[in-house]
Amino acid sequence: MIKHLFKLTWNKKKQTFLLMTEIFVSFIVMFAVFTMVVFYYQNYSRERGFNYENVWNLGYDNPPGMQNIDSIVAFRQYLKQMIKAMPQVQDVSFSDANIPFGDANIETYINYNKAGMNAEIYTVDEDYKNTLNVQIVEGRWFTKQDDVFRERPVVINETLKKKVFGDENAVGKLITDAGFGGTMKVIGVIHDLKDKGDYVRPPAGYYKKMDTSYSRGAQIIIKVKPNADAAFESKLYKTLSNAIPNTSIDIKHMDKERIIKNTQLLVPVIVLFTIAGFLIINVALGLFGVLWYSINRRKSEIGLRRAIGASRGSISKQLMGEALALSTMSLLAGTFFAVQFPLLNVFNLASNTYLIANGLAVLFIYLLVLICSLYPSRQAAAIYPAEALHED
Amino acid sequence: MLKNYFKIAIAVLKRRKFFTFISLFGISFTLAIIIVVTAFIDHAVRPGYPDVNRDRELYADRMHLKSSKNQSNINGGPSFYFVNHYVANLKTPVKVSIQSNGSATNSYVNNKKLVNRLRYTNDQFWQVLQFNFIEGKPYNKQQVDNAEKVAVISEDMRNAYFGEDAKALGKYIETDNVQYRIIGVVTSLPATSNVFADIYVPYTLSKEDLHNTGLIGGYRAIMLFNSRDDFKRARDEYNQMVAKLPRDPQFDLVYTYADTYPETFTRGLPFAEGEDAGVTTFLIIATIIILLFLLLPTLNLVNINISRIIDRSSEIGVRKAFGASSRTLVYQFIVENLILTFLGGIVGIVLSFIILQIINNAGLVDHMHLAINLHVLFITLLACIFFGLLSGVYPAWRMSRMHVVTALKAQ
Repeated sequence: MIKHLFKLTWNKKKQTFLLMTEIFVSFIVMFAVFTMVVFYYQNYSRERGFNYENVWNLGYDNPPGMQNIDSIVAFRQYLKQMIKAMPQVQDVSFSDANIPFGDANIETYINYNKAGMNAEIYTVDEDYKNTLNVQIVEGRWFTKQDDVFRERPVVINETLKKKVFGDENAVGKLITDAGFGGTMKVIGVIHDLKDKGDYVRPPAGYYKKMDTSYSRGAQIIIKVKPNADAAFESKLYKTLSNAIPNTSIDIKHMDKERIIKNTQLLVPVIVLFTIAGFLIINVALGLFGVLWYSINRRKSEIGLRRAIGASRGSISKQLMGEALALSTMSLLAGTFFAVQFPLLNVFNLASNTYLIANGLAVLFIYLLVLICSLYPSRQAAAIYPAEALHED
Repeated sequence: MLKNYFKIAIAVLKRRKFFTFISLFGISFTLAIIIVVTAFIDHAVRPGYPDVNRDRELYADRMHLKSSKNQSNINGGPSFYFVNHYVANLKTPVKVSIQSNGSATNSYVNNKKLVNRLRYTNDQFWQVLQFNFIEGKPYNKQQVDNAEKVAVISEDMRNAYFGEDAKALGKYIETDNVQYRIIGVVTSLPATSNVFADIYVPYTLSKEDLHNTGLIGGYRAIMLFNSRDDFKRARDEYNQMVAKLPRDPQFDLVYTYADTYPETFTRGLPFAEGEDAGVTTFLIIATIIILLFLLLPTLNLVNINISRIIDRSSEIGVRKAFGASSRTLVYQFIVENLILTFLGGIVGIVLSFIILQIINNAGLVDHMHLAINLHVLFITLLACIFFGLLSGVYPAWRMSRMHVVTALKAQ
C-alpha cells in the first residue's frame, strides 16, 4: 500500500515538483524556527546559578590623577568599607565590567593539554560568592590569602570544567591563559551563572581574583536588605557622588537589567516568529487550495474506484496518503539538509537541539499537510460514482 | 486591449472566490510586512526632527586605532580632544556640532528615582540640530566658555521632575549630584535618535579630563555643509587632517572617516573596508534576504496560478484555435496577474496602515511615529511589480505551451 502510494507520487513528480519545493522551503523555515525555540527553551530551563534579587550595581572610574597602584587599591578598600557600613547593605563586592546582565563581556583564550578554547574571564573579589549567592560544586571560593600565590588561583564554571576536564576532578589542575593570567591553578568549580540573560547559554568561563594589581575602574555590586528603599538609594547616591568626583553615577537594579537583557533578545525573535507565522498561514491556504483542486480534477478516477467497490474511507485514506507521501519526499530532502547542521557543527549548538528541532519540524509539516488535505479528501470521497462517471 | 484584459481578470477573480482570497491574502500580507519593515528603516535613516539637515551633514563618530606590529587594536568613539581640536577646525564645514555620547545618571525627587541621560554639547549643537523650544532658548558660546551651570531639558524630563506641564524656566534641576539652572525646554525625541537626551549641558561642565590628548573617547561631531557638493572636498580635508595626526607609538594606524548618516550604520558591520563604508554591500545583502523572504509566497502563488490555468484550459484552447499567438496569451496572463498583485498591494497598504497605527499606539519607543510615506509607497510599488512578474511568468509560459487539442478536450 505504502509502496504503491510512493509510486503514484513519484510518477507525478513533474506536476507536483513546485508543490514539493514549497513544502521543502516551509520545512526549512520551520526547522529554523524550532531550532531557536528548542535552543532558547533548553537555556531557559537551566538553573540560574545566582541570585539577582535586591542586587544593585554601579560603575566608577578612578579619580583623576590617581596613578599610583597603592592609592587605587586603598581607594577601592575605602569605598567598600564606606558602603558596607551602611545599615541596609548586606554584602558588597567589586568586579570588572563583566557583571551579570551588563553590556560588557571579556573573552580570552585558554590552553590545556596542547588544545585551546575561548572562555569568558571575570575578575571579582572574595565577596562575589556571597553577594550573588553563587553555588560551589567542587573545591572552594577565594579567600583573602589568595593574594599571594605561585600559580594564580582561579575558579572555573561547570561548562569550562566539562570541556577541559570532562568527568575528572578539576581542583588542583593547571590551565594556561597566555593573555591574562599565565599558568593558573584551579581551586574550585562553581555552578554556571546564567549571567547574559535567561535565554542565553552560559559561556565557559573562569574567575580570577581582583587583587592588588588591578588598577582600572570597577563595578560595585551591592546586595541590599529587603528594607532598602528609594530614600536609602538617594542617600547612597549622594555619598558615592561625593566620594567619586569624576564619574556620573547610575545605580542599576539587577532585576530590571535582566528584563532589559531578555527583551533585547526576545523582541527580534518575536518579530521573526510573527513573520514565519504569516508565511505558514499563507502556505497552508495555498496547500489547501492546490490539493482541493487536484483532487477535484480526479473525479472520474475516484468515481471509477467507487464503482468497483472502494469504500469512502479507503478513498479519503488514499488521497491523504498521497499528500503525505508527497510531503515525505520533501521532508527527506529537508532532513538531509538539516542533518548537515549538527554534522558540520554550524553555530556551535548541541546536536540534540537540532535533532529535536528537526523532529518537531517534520511533525509540524505532516500535521499541516494532514489538516490541509482532510477536507478535500472527504469531499472527494463523497462523490457518487454515477455522477462522477457521467461527467466526461 | 488593456481594458479587455482588465474585464477578463475581474471576471476570473470573481469566479473562484476562494482562490482569489488565498492569492490576495498571500500578496497583501507579504507586502504589508515589507511596508512595515521599510517604514522602520525609513524612520531610522531619513532626516527628521531635530536632525532636519541630515542630507547635508557628515558624521565623525568612530575611531579605530591599530598597531602595525601586532594584532592589537582599539575601537571606540572619537575623544573630545579630537573633535574639538581637529574636526571643529576644519575649513569646509559651515558648523560643527560636538556632543558626548551621553551617560545615564540619576536624580531623586520626592523619594522617587529618575534615570536620565545627560549629554555634553557645544553651542553649535543647537544650530546644526533644529530643536523645537517649548520654553526658553539654548545656551550660547559665552555660556559654554564660562562653564555656566545651565541646562536644556526635554519635555518628558520636565514633566517627570516638575509635574505635568509645570513651567520649568529658571528653576533648578539636580542630577548627577549637580544643580543646573534650566534655560530651555525642548520637544522630546524618540530614544532611538542619535542625539536623544533628557538633559543637555555645556561640555565645559564635563567631569572628564577634557585635556586628555588620547584619540578615543565618548564624543562625536556632526559637520554641517552648505550643500552635498562639499562632501568630496570635506572628506579630502578630513583625510588629510587624519594623516597628519600625531601618532601613539603603540597604536600607529588611525582609521576614522567622515560618514553620511546611513554610512554610520554600515561602518560598524564587517564588510566596511577602508573608505568604503559598505552601504552597497549592505543593500545587496538586504535585497537577497528580501528575495529569500519572497520565495515562499511566490512559490505559493505560482502553484495556485498553475491550478487556475488548468481551470481555464478550454478558454485557452478556444483562443488558440482562433489564432491567438502564445505571446499574446503570455502577455494577457501576466497583465492579469499584475492586476491581481496590485489589488493585493492596495489591501496590503491598508493592512500595513493598521499595523503601523497599532505599533505607534503601543508606544514601543516613546515619541517614535512610523508612517507610510512616498518613499515607502514607491518601494511597495516596485515590490508589487516584481512579485507579479515573478509569480506570473512561469505559469504563463506553461499555459502558452498547452496544445490546442488537449486544451479544448479537457472537460
